[in-house]
Amino acid sequence: MVRVELVIPNKLGLHARAAGKLVEAASPFDCEIWLNKGQQRVNGKSIMGILTLAAARGETIVMEITGPDEERALKVLKKLVLSGFGEKA
Amino acid sequence: MISIPVRYLYDHLYKDLDLEILAGEKGMDRAIRIARIQKPGLALAGFLDQLHRDRVQILGATELSYLETLDQDLGDERMDQLCSAGVSCLIIAKNLIAPESLVNLCELHQVPLLRSPEITSSLIRRVTVYLEDVLAPETSVHGCLVDVFGVGILLIGKSGIGKSECALGLVARGHRLVGDDVVVLRRKMQDAIFGSAENLIKYHMEIRGLGILNIRDLFGVSSIRKSKKIELVVELVEWHNDLKVERLGLEDNTYSMLGLEIPYLNIPVRPARDLTMIIEVAARNHLLRRMGFNAAKEFDKTLNERLASQTQDTGKPDLESME
Repeated sequence: MVRVELVIPNKLGLHARAAGKLVEAASPFDCEIWLNKGQQRVNGKSIMGILTLAAARGETIVMEITGPDEERALKVLKKLVLSGFGEKA
Repeated sequence: MISIPVRYLYDHLYKDLDLEILAGEKGMDRAIRIARIQKPGLALAGFLDQLHRDRVQILGATELSYLETLDQDLGDERMDQLCSAGVSCLIIAKNLIAPESLVNLCELHQVPLLRSPEITSSLIRRVTVYLEDVLAPETSVHGCLVDVFGVGILLIGKSGIGKSECALGLVARGHRLVGDDVVVLRRKMQDAIFGSAENLIKYHMEIRGLGILNIRDLFGVSSIRKSKKIELVVELVEWHNDLKVERLGLEDNTYSMLGLEIPYLNIPVRPARDLTMIIEVAARNHLLRRMGFNAAKEFDKTLNERLASQTQDTGKPDLESME
C-alpha cells in the first residue's frame, strides 16, 4: 500500500468537475484507491463518494492506494491533485 | 468512543421536551457517552457504587420527595456527592420544584440542571431513544442501499461492477433508493444496522454515461427513503471460471458489519444476467426465509426422504443415514 497526504490547492476545491477528473484518472488502474478526509473514507473511483468529502482549498486529503500498479497510480493522481486539477488557480 | 456534549441534547430536544436550564449552564460542554439514563435514587440514599460518570441522571418525584425526608445537611451532602461524581447532567421531570441547594450545587460543580414538564417514564423513553440514535456506532461503506419489497438490501462490490446500475434498475421497477455510493451505517437497538445516505449526496446517483441524477425528481417521492434497516448484503462479483459461488443455497453465509452478522449473498455478474430481477428474487426469497420457509432446505429434505425410501436393503445397517 502506498499513501500520500495532499493539500487541495485550487480555488474551487474538490468540486464536481475536479472529482470527475480524479475518477477518470483513477479508474484505469488495477488498484483499490481510498481517499480520507478526517474520519471520512471514500472510494477514489466513485464520483459521489469523492463529492461527499466536500474538500475545500487548503484541506488535506489522504490517498491510500493498493494494487499491482499502485506506484504509477500514486504518481499520476498526486500530480493531478497538486496541479489543481488542471485549473488556473 | 462516541460522545456528545450536553448542549447537543439540549439544542435537539428543548422544543420537544420543553426543556429549561435551571443551573450549571457553564457545564453544557460536559460529555454524554452512554445512552442509558440513570435514576439516582440509591445514590441519594448513600449507595454511590453504581453511580456512573458520563450518564444523564433523571430526577422524578421519587427522588425529590425522598430528598425532602432527609435532614438539610445530609440531603446537601448527598446532592453534593451526586453533582461531583462526573455525571453528565441532571434532568428534573414533571416540572417539579428543584431544591434550592441542588440548584446551588449544580451551579458550583458546573453540572447542567435541566427541567421538563414531561412525566418521568416518557422523559426517560424519549431521552433514551434520542441518545441511542446519536451515540450509535457508525461507519460508512462503499455501496448502494435499496429497499426491495421492504427488505433493506446493501449492494457492495468493486467500483464499476454495476451497483448503481442495478440500484437504478430496482428504482425503475418501483423499489426505493436509500443511498448510492456512500452509505452511512449505524448500529441501533443492539441488533439492527440502519443505513442512510450521506447528507450532501442523498437522493443522487451517478450513472456512467448519464452523469449525476436526482432520483427523487426523476421518480418521485415514493422512490426514495431516508433510512432502512439492512437485512441482506449482496456482493456483486466478476464472473470467472474458478469463482466459488453458492449453487444450492443451503449455506447461510453472513457479512460482518459493526459487530453484527448480516445474511450475505455473492452474485456473479455476467452479460445477459438480469441483475435487477435476480436481486428482486433474492428479496422475495429472503422474505420467505424470514417466515421460516427455506426452499433449498425443503427440497433437500424431500430429496433425502426419496433417497431413503429407495435405498435397497443391503442387509447391513446403514450407519450414515442413521446419523
